[in-house]
Amino acid sequence: MKHNYQTRSLPLLYLLFAFITAIVLFPILINVFTAFKSPGDLMNSSPLALPKVWSFDNLKSAFEKGNMLIGFKNTGILVLVSVILNTILGAMTAYVLNRFDFRFKKVIMGMFIVAMVVPFYTTEVARFQIIKSFGLYDSLGAPLLIYAGTDLLQIFIFLQFIEKISSQLDESAMIDGASYISIFTRILFPLLLPASATLGIIKAVDIMNDMYIPYLYMPSKELHTLSTSLMSFVGQRASSFEQLSAAILIVLIPTLLLYLFLQRYVFSGITAGAVKE
Amino acid sequence: MSYSLQKKLVIVSFLFIPVSLLLLFLLYPSLRLLQFSLTDWNGISKSFHYVGLENYIAAFKNPDVWKALTNNFLYFGIHAIFIPLEVMIAVFLNNKMRASNFFRSIVFMPYILNGVAVAYLFSFLYNPINGPINSLLESIGLESWIQNWLSDKGVVNYSLIVVSLWRFSGLHVILFLAGLQSIPNDLYEAATIDGAGPLKKFVHITLPGISRVMEIVLFLNVRGALQVFDIPFLMTQGGPGLASTTFTVYTIQTAFKYNNYGLASSLAIILMLMIIVFSYFQGKLFKGKGD
Repeated sequence: MKHNYQTRSLPLLYLLFAFITAIVLFPILINVFTAFKSPGDLMNSSPLALPKVWSFDNLKSAFEKGNMLIGFKNTGILVLVSVILNTILGAMTAYVLNRFDFRFKKVIMGMFIVAMVVPFYTTEVARFQIIKSFGLYDSLGAPLLIYAGTDLLQIFIFLQFIEKISSQLDESAMIDGASYISIFTRILFPLLLPASATLGIIKAVDIMNDMYIPYLYMPSKELHTLSTSLMSFVGQRASSFEQLSAAILIVLIPTLLLYLFLQRYVFSGITAGAVKE
Repeated sequence: MSYSLQKKLVIVSFLFIPVSLLLLFLLYPSLRLLQFSLTDWNGISKSFHYVGLENYIAAFKNPDVWKALTNNFLYFGIHAIFIPLEVMIAVFLNNKMRASNFFRSIVFMPYILNGVAVAYLFSFLYNPINGPINSLLESIGLESWIQNWLSDKGVVNYSLIVVSLWRFSGLHVILFLAGLQSIPNDLYEAATIDGAGPLKKFVHITLPGISRVMEIVLFLNVRGALQVFDIPFLMTQGGPGLASTTFTVYTIQTAFKYNNYGLASSLAIILMLMIIVFSYFQGKLFKGKGD
């Protein structure tokens, strides 16, 4: 719906949204200012003031001291591999659940629904032991296997898309002698790619921003992600506020860029499960 | 290969990995939690004893657990108070306002940012000595509002809830906006022809139109508020004392810091039950009102 508000209430609306914009941007801008200030500048001026001279020194030393390169590398690997695995597994699950009838279908759906109420974080108390017994502790394998698993929301969105693809397409391929596997890989999976892009971006953001799973399962320095690099950088307490701000800024940048360029997908991913088409 | 044989093979092979992952890393751990919750296991030793419901009784008698739960409830309550405001902002964003796309991007931005970075960013903002927030208050003549945001027991929770609001309110607004956009325009046109005013339209068209989204937001709020973890974990470790601890922070510390896996597991099971019960009753309450 689109409403036309009377023009006299418009300035008030702009004022409200200017206020909201200020609340959102204030913390980020202060952090940017601080990240570019020299130590002396920070000491002697108001924390709200612009830097007198914009210096990249803090960013450089935070990047090195904080092991950010390792963080970028590990986060990159985790995002790439998990998103690919997760997309393929999610699409496969949705394909089977939508196109075939079989005995345990309801049981399997039920299990995915039950998994929705399993709490985050506290479940690690038991999952920790399982990961350890598989010998996956302190390796990239632990988060990879946890992230790769598909969830109800993802299956639900894939199902919405698959339902719209006519099963006549499958049938005509079967007349040509195509196997079920080639129907999935050659016909259905390509048609699911738009949905996969949307879901993949949401998953990527979740993984980039996750901290507890890498923190718990990958304590080694060489395995730090962006989030845990920042955590250990702060934990050392060896650095000043301007360096801390610089490290925060470095960690904020990847998702910020992703948001700037792929906003459309982010929005459709976030709202896809909430609104019926 | 015949299609019926193929079908069986495809079903089994396609579902094998996803279902195994689900069983291994989500459902089996939940069962293990249930088992641990009945023991005195410390997480290290090879053996443990079954102690019946002792951990559950200890959890209920533990004033710290109740303190943590009160904090969770504060998150729930304050986020709930903001829901009408979020609906209002979504309605405004749905206007023919110039730059509404820009404002939409701004409103949602905090949700997408790295939570660790945001938590530390706010720790810096709240810094009591020459911190940006106190400086801001000073510069606009509100010196009397200056606080020790993270070390004052009476203030710390509200400081953390502000971070939570900053991060998650935008998500709710965007969900409500999507709900509003799914309402067909002709409903409003028909109502205008019938002479309905803006308030009537809001009550009879807009509110029912976003009821599904409302249900989702309420569910997210229950689940989120009961499981608040990273903000207090990163910013205060639940302190000072237990002033800003939450149920999840307390559980995690009980397990990994104090090695009391039995008690921690019983807390995890209690949390799971609370999520189920609260979601169920909230859903029921909501359905009853909606119909």
